[in-house]
Amino acid sequence: MATRIHPLLILFTVLVYVFLLGPLIIIFGASLSDTTYLTFPPQGLSFRWFQNIWDISAFRRTIVTSLQMAFLGTAIALVIGIPAAYALNRYRVTLPGWLSTLFVLPILVPEIVIGFSLLRSVTVQAGVPVWYALLIGHTLLVIPYVIRVVSASLASFDFSIEEAAISLGSPPARTFFTIVLPNIRSGVIAAFILSFITSINDVSVSLFLTGPGVSTLPIQLLAHMEQFFDPTIASVSVVLMLLTILVMIIVERTLGLAIVAK
Amino acid sequence: MKRLAGWMLASPATLAITFLLVIPVAITVGLSFGSPGQGDWGIVQPYADFFASGFRRNVLWRTFTVAGWVTVISLAAGLATAYVVARCPPWMKSTLIVLAVFPLLTGVVVRSFAWLVLLGREGMVNQVLQATGLTDGPVAMLYTQGAVIVAMVYIFVPLMVLVLVGVLENIPEDLMQASSSLGAGPVASFFQVTLPLAVPGLIVGAVLVFTASFTSYATPHLLGGTRQMMMGTFLQQRALVAFDWPGAAVVAAIMLAVIVATVLVMTRVARRLNPMAT
Amino acid sequence: MTQPLTIDRITAHYGTTKVLEDLSLSVAEGELVSLLGASGCGKTTTLRLVAGFLQPTAGAIRLGDKDLTRLPAHQRDIGLVFQNYALFPHLTVRENVAFGLKQRKVAGPERLKRADAMLDRVGLAHLADRLPAALSGGQKQRVALARALVIEPPLLMFDEPLSNLDAKLRVDMRVEIRQLQRANGTTALYVTHDQEEAFSISDRVAIMHQGRIMQLDTPEVLYQRPANAFVANFVGFENLIPLRVTARNGADITAQTAEGAALTLSQDQLGPIPDAFTLATRPDGLQVTVTGGAGLPATLGLRTYLGRAYQYQAKAGGLALLANGPLSQPLDPGTAVTLVPNPEQCAILKPE
Repeated sequence: MATRIHPLLILFTVLVYVFLLGPLIIIFGASLSDTTYLTFPPQGLSFRWFQNIWDISAFRRTIVTSLQMAFLGTAIALVIGIPAAYALNRYRVTLPGWLSTLFVLPILVPEIVIGFSLLRSVTVQAGVPVWYALLIGHTLLVIPYVIRVVSASLASFDFSIEEAAISLGSPPARTFFTIVLPNIRSGVIAAFILSFITSINDVSVSLFLTGPGVSTLPIQLLAHMEQFFDPTIASVSVVLMLLTILVMIIVERTLGLAIVAK
Repeated sequence: MKRLAGWMLASPATLAITFLLVIPVAITVGLSFGSPGQGDWGIVQPYADFFASGFRRNVLWRTFTVAGWVTVISLAAGLATAYVVARCPPWMKSTLIVLAVFPLLTGVVVRSFAWLVLLGREGMVNQVLQATGLTDGPVAMLYTQGAVIVAMVYIFVPLMVLVLVGVLENIPEDLMQASSSLGAGPVASFFQVTLPLAVPGLIVGAVLVFTASFTSYATPHLLGGTRQMMMGTFLQQRALVAFDWPGAAVVAAIMLAVIVATVLVMTRVARRLNPMAT
Repeated sequence: MTQPLTIDRITAHYGTTKVLEDLSLSVAEGELVSLLGASGCGKTTTLRLVAGFLQPTAGAIRLGDKDLTRLPAHQRDIGLVFQNYALFPHLTVRENVAFGLKQRKVAGPERLKRADAMLDRVGLAHLADRLPAALSGGQKQRVALARALVIEPPLLMFDEPLSNLDAKLRVDMRVEIRQLQRANGTTALYVTHDQEEAFSISDRVAIMHQGRIMQLDTPEVLYQRPANAFVANFVGFENLIPLRVTARNGADITAQTAEGAALTLSQDQLGPIPDAFTLATRPDGLQVTVTGGAGLPATLGLRTYLGRAYQYQAKAGGLALLANGPLSQPLDPGTAVTLVPNPEQCAILKPE
């Protein structure tokens, strides 16, 4: 049903989208500038600031660390979170109501408070090495996303096919891996992608848990900005944006972009 | 065995969150309190100190103000945009949603940085202002409250649009048809039917944006610096620059209290206002 | 002031698919016409076009002298009753009913008074302050009805209003709807897939199929004189027997099937019979006899029990037929019988 929308509203919407996407295009342009300072429109065209990313060891290291945290953190969160989501759906009656609230706490509690608390308790008091503390922080951050997204998938899962499999002789554990998991595949993939992106982009938790030699890309970007305000930042941003586009294409191929209903 | 199965499956996550989140945060809150005999206020002395300090009160007030403005502006802009998007034909709607999701997926650092470039002395905004003759020289826009607000609106509008499109789509189509058939034009239908039914969802969106902007770090840090100190940047400063751990704990505890209070109050309000709850 | 409705050569598309082509229909002042058909036949599309939720690609829609075709939906002044009731969940029953009056700028006290009066007419005055969520399906439908009636529209339209109610309620409600429509004398267009419902309350029924009206007539004519094979099948003529006239004797004719079985039929009872035609009969119209005589020789198949009679599958030459037989004489599969058409349950279909 196409109701006629007031042209002013349409104009406003167009402006909002220009507002949203314009600055990103500007960064893209600035990254190509052949100057040592940030400027738009770019003066001269060059890829040297992309080259520079690779030249700076700090960026090389933090890109690796960020990827490690994202992959490992998400993997651990999946291992811990999928059973929890399954339990919430299948055994709802045997579990207390506050459990689902508990699982959602890392989203409710401000990230910066989480980061600070982990720094205090895990790094300082318990003396856990920085890399592991960082991993703990990232895992904690994404657990609620895993549980929520997989739970949503399980809510529309027909548990009677699980019962059918068991009645036909398949032991419960095997049934989980051969019957349940494949049918919530899209939920698991969505959870993975959401968690991965959350981890890669995290600032507030990583802020407190990075240390000498161990840092994530966003934190490194912030540090770089403080010292050198040059187009490298723009080129790193472009790399991150391209990564995002890549992820979105993957999502589109495997799930269809409609999955972004949080 | 059935009885325990649920617990066994849920225990890793339960233990992880309990030991890595609940307990550390509890310790932090504990750290924020003083000792019984301390000063005039005993265990809440550190809080008394916080509120006694003009600077700190300013920080807290500024955070409320900024978060409030960001929420209101994002809500208005988001609602208008979501209204249009929700009414677009399917192919256009999915394109627009993808275009809104994209900024959301790039990080806060990239998006805040964009405004750093735009609002700088040689940034585009200044270029345009001088080119059109509106100003004579570059205007200092960075490190003002306005800059922080603009950048944070930029961060949160996509989120608001996505949430509100979902809310608007949840309103059954036949209600809009009924309203129309009874003589209500688009404007009347919006205010008499759509808006009242969207209120619970609007509250959810507003709470989301308010709590996120209240506790934000990266954007206030980049666009506001120390001149526009907000709770997030203040916490970082106390903890990592001044190494004043108890002071940082007080800031953290206050942030936590504000967030919890907001969520609790708004959940109650939303539930009371929800006409579609049976 | 009620008005007649004219749908004039409407063509409609969903995207690139044509869903209605050159459709025309007139509903006289005060008449209730039903659009009857299976899902996908175009009946709801037609209703939505008249309501203004869909634009035709060709043709016009007129209510009396007013041309509705380009008019936006909210200016058409039509009372709509929806399948899912479409009651506003955030307004009380009274406010729901008063909604249309509010849009017409009727003053507060006056519109609440009129809403209460209408609620009284549908027997729901005691629920005026409740929210829709607290009502049963039947009650919700009555509120929806009240809401459409209170604005005194020149045209009422019903979009399968009873399909979400249980069977007993459906029968009661359709009578109520008809009574209210009759009492007000409002022109009405009624969409349903339920044949009994359409036939019981309509002045005329349009049977629709794939975007076209297959026949528009009173229920009696549709039931007894279907115009084509589709309508015949729709109203229960299960058996379609192609025949060719071999002899004419005044009003009587003799006709043969492809296999040579002969039947005698009277034009006095069945109306004019062309040389090539199809004899349509209901199962009740094909009597099973074991004695010989004029009729179709057939072999019986499966027997099912209907309560009031037995129904048999029967094969007559290349034709698969359904015929009913008396309870006094249950027959087994394989029995050779003669099927005799009963003219009262038959109709003549001209070749299409």
